[in-house]
Amino acid sequence: MNNLLLDVVTTAGILFVVAVGLLVVFGVLKIINFAHGGFLTIGGYAALIVTQLHWSPWAAPPVALILGILLGMLVERLIVRPLYSRPLDAILATWGLSIVVVQLITIGFGRGTEFVLSPLQGAVALLGTSYSLYRLAMLVVALVIGGAIAGILQGTRLGLAARAVIMNETLAQSLGINSALVRFATFSVGAGLATMAGSLITPLLSIDPLMGVPWLLNAFMLVMVSGTSLVSLAVASLVLGGAQVVVSTYGNPVLGALTIVVLAALLLRIRPTGFARA
Amino acid sequence: MAEAALQLDGVTSGYGEAMVLRGVNLTLAPGEVLAVLGKNGMGKSTLLKTIMGFLPPRDGQIYIHGRDVTRVAPYRRAAQSVAYSPQEQAIFQDLTVSENLRLGLRSDRRSAAATERVTAFFPFLGKRGRQPAGTLSGGEQKMLIMARALLSNPRLLLIDEISEGLQPSVILRLGEVLRRECATRELTILIIEQNVRFALSVASRYAVLARGEIVDAGAVGPGAETAIQDHLAV
Ligand SMILES: Nc1ncnc2c1ncn2[C@@H]1O[C@H](COP(=O)(O)OP(=O)(O)OP(=O)(O)O)[C@@H](O)[C@H]1O
Ligand SMILES: [Mg+2]
Repeated sequence: MNNLLLDVVTTAGILFVVAVGLLVVFGVLKIINFAHGGFLTIGGYAALIVTQLHWSPWAAPPVALILGILLGMLVERLIVRPLYSRPLDAILATWGLSIVVVQLITIGFGRGTEFVLSPLQGAVALLGTSYSLYRLAMLVVALVIGGAIAGILQGTRLGLAARAVIMNETLAQSLGINSALVRFATFSVGAGLATMAGSLITPLLSIDPLMGVPWLLNAFMLVMVSGTSLVSLAVASLVLGGAQVVVSTYGNPVLGALTIVVLAALLLRIRPTGFARA
Repeated sequence: MAEAALQLDGVTSGYGEAMVLRGVNLTLAPGEVLAVLGKNGMGKSTLLKTIMGFLPPRDGQIYIHGRDVTRVAPYRRAAQSVAYSPQEQAIFQDLTVSENLRLGLRSDRRSAAATERVTAFFPFLGKRGRQPAGTLSGGEQKMLIMARALLSNPRLLLIDEISEGLQPSVILRLGEVLRRECATRELTILIIEQNVRFALSVASRYAVLARGEIVDAGAVGPGAETAIQDHLAV
């Protein structure tokens, strides 16, 4: 029972880490970045390269973060910004980009499945059971990332400007806020969060060119039911991730993998705002 | 001659194919207060949106403090000491009162003194800092908008129908605040109003907009109100 509880909270943490970059970009730019899955995959391969270079596995997340931010800057400038006035085309363009990413990675690394070492191995005794140290660490990482983003949004001038742009971009501009710069910074950070998440999940699963796809699907549904709120995303990760764990444990893993998508779709049918405040 | 605070040369703009402003010429000298009046739908709000850069003019030039800003982004115009209070959606409903005020300042440095000066005009703002701005009453929201606009110490202030739906005493208060600001420093104001008496109590000149053109203009003085009312009559 305690094992199940730990599975639920750590799964929620992992889902939150994977989806938060998508949520941030959606909040400010009002587009779903379908390249998010591609960025997750790039992060996974960044971890693989770190392993192949025999660097410490601790280097993978920061390397992936920086790589993602740089790639995000490029993508925002070259693909997203020119389509600013055509959001639907911008969304399609990010989808196209994700296909290009998969192709390039397949050309560069092949279709094969790869593995990396975990920086934190073994288990700890907790709540009367022995539990994976790395999965527990992911919960901590989720809390740190969520706390950091909330801190920036609530406690800094930049965060205030970002919230102003989220709520009313025109009004923000008329108060002297460079909303194009806010979008640029947000997209870059969102991409960095995605690549970092991609590297962080690699010790838990195998790496292949399509590894981002199922995660993108879950992240997309979680953002759809969360709107633009970090708290809603945490709640959605806990509830829908919890359901996934329960179905996988007592039902079967194949059904479990579909749980989030199916439940989120049902929830949106009943309550279009999902977990977000009405 | 000192350069104009705001100058429009033959500005034509509108939405899609429909032109709302047709070849508008306007000059505001530094320190001048111009009231722009006109019936509903004549293009008053469109004029301010064009001056702020939210609508690119189809033709003509716009100068702010002598600089050609015709192709300059709205946020850069704002950064040139321009404050704009739009007719609709002028506050961030979900931000607190003090967050709304902070956004009026260009940076958080030296904010305390500026905030104190402005909240002296509207004391309730000082006590309601943590309240979400959307929960203020309609009149309180108007005062918040005015306070935020003045916080940045603008040299040019563009106001779109601030008196709409306000009780007479609050309108008087807003007029007082604007006159006091103009008396203490060089502030140029373009104020759009339905309330002719309020507009003329702060303005030194008026212009009447009809079908996208300025059809009458003059100094505020005896007879101005009658002349304007003639244009506004149906
Ligand atoms: N976003 C828009 N798209 C298309 N037409 C618009 C838009 N905004 C305004 N218009 C039209 O432009 C004309 C001028 O509108 P504007 O808002 O400038 O009028 P106004 O003089 O401010 O009126 P009011 O006194 O009612 O505020 C109107 O006919 C209006 O329907
Ligand atoms: Mg109007």
